[in-house]
Amino acid sequence: MANEELKHTLKEQIIKYLNLLEKTPADIKDDQVLFGEELGLDSIDSVELIVLLEREYGIKIKDPKEGRKVLVDVNTMADYILANRTR
Amino acid sequence: MIYIHQIASVSPQKELVVASLDEVNESAHNVLKVVEPKYEGIPLSILRRMGKAVRMGVGTALPLINQLEFPLNGIVIGTANGGMEDCIKFLNQVIEFEEGTLTPTNFVQSTPNAIASQLSLLSANKGYNITHVNRGLAFENALLDVWMLLKENSTHTYLLGGVEEISSYNYNIDYLADWFKKEETSNKKMYDSQTEGTLSGEGSAMFIVNAVPTNALAQIDALQLMHTEDVTEIEKQLNYFLKQHVADGESIDLLLSGENGDIRPRHFFEAVECILSGATVARFKHLTGDFATASALALTIACQLIQSNVLPDHMIKMDRKKKNLKKVLIYNQHKGVQHSFILVSKP
Repeated sequence: MANEELKHTLKEQIIKYLNLLEKTPADIKDDQVLFGEELGLDSIDSVELIVLLEREYGIKIKDPKEGRKVLVDVNTMADYILANRTR
Repeated sequence: MIYIHQIASVSPQKELVVASLDEVNESAHNVLKVVEPKYEGIPLSILRRMGKAVRMGVGTALPLINQLEFPLNGIVIGTANGGMEDCIKFLNQVIEFEEGTLTPTNFVQSTPNAIASQLSLLSANKGYNITHVNRGLAFENALLDVWMLLKENSTHTYLLGGVEEISSYNYNIDYLADWFKKEETSNKKMYDSQTEGTLSGEGSAMFIVNAVPTNALAQIDALQLMHTEDVTEIEKQLNYFLKQHVADGESIDLLLSGENGDIRPRHFFEAVECILSGATVARFKHLTGDFATASALALTIACQLIQSNVLPDHMIKMDRKKKNLKKVLIYNQHKGVQHSFILVSKP
């Protein structure tokens, strides 16, 4: 349940940080690829998501390879947050 | 001579020149905010990152650029502050997050030249690209730049624009400096006010201009920029300007005055009205509010009036019963220091 709450909060944060004004958390599926055609995210958004992880959860991603594994979908981001969060 | 071929604008009014005062959108808390349209032609992924000034500027200009059948040689924008709201967001983040990792979007959008550069990227225009930021004469300096460019290259075509947004930061600074009214004042009654300060406004106006008279909507005959606090200097400059640019037998049909409801600069407007005693006097800032590049919207209004030859009653201060609105002089001032004359006429 804690994981589900985290995913919902994370979706709200993604919408806020990326200014996805036309989206609601319900529009983003847990396993929906973030950088695919549906959400239309790009490289600037990946930087915004890295900033999100640092500001909201105290996680610093310095290795781009690590970032690629984490920023796949909401599931991978939530798993990484649960394992690495400092706040 | 500059010829205006196409115009687009966003302003606090749905239609910038409306027939009656009842149709004029009313200010709220001494602020006139733009009525933003649904912006066409900007990809959603880019639109969501844009601050208001960038959105207004790009949203107004892009349809004009896209419908051009000939190449655009450059983009020249005047804006005193650009995307100030995003700029302040970015600077606050520097403090809030102790100079740590910052989000790139606010930074990218926060410089005044973000409007011209986004237009360049979205229209793949690799021509001249510049933003003038000379406070209350930012738009006039952009116009002067285009004027000089067209003198050098009479076959060129340029996008000329003026953009300003109301940011809470700027509003508060100018409010504390007494540039905005302290008491609630409606834009519909702003000229009756006997107090200091004006109403805040915002907007964007874009023009496709070149040196070709064929099918032009309006022509700009002359431009004068002045920095002075001395009303006698304005009188002297205006007399010289008229002698230089209005031929014997011709006259100014309409003075489009930037009177703004502030009693402090009122003597400038009265002095100009006195010299142009034969011209009808109309005012526009109850439609736009006051901001550094309001003269860009004034130019839009002048072009519309020249085209329609109809002057709505709510704009008239003094009616000299002119049959034709062929020659319009725009006089505007900013904070009692920066002044401009723009002479517009029917081609």
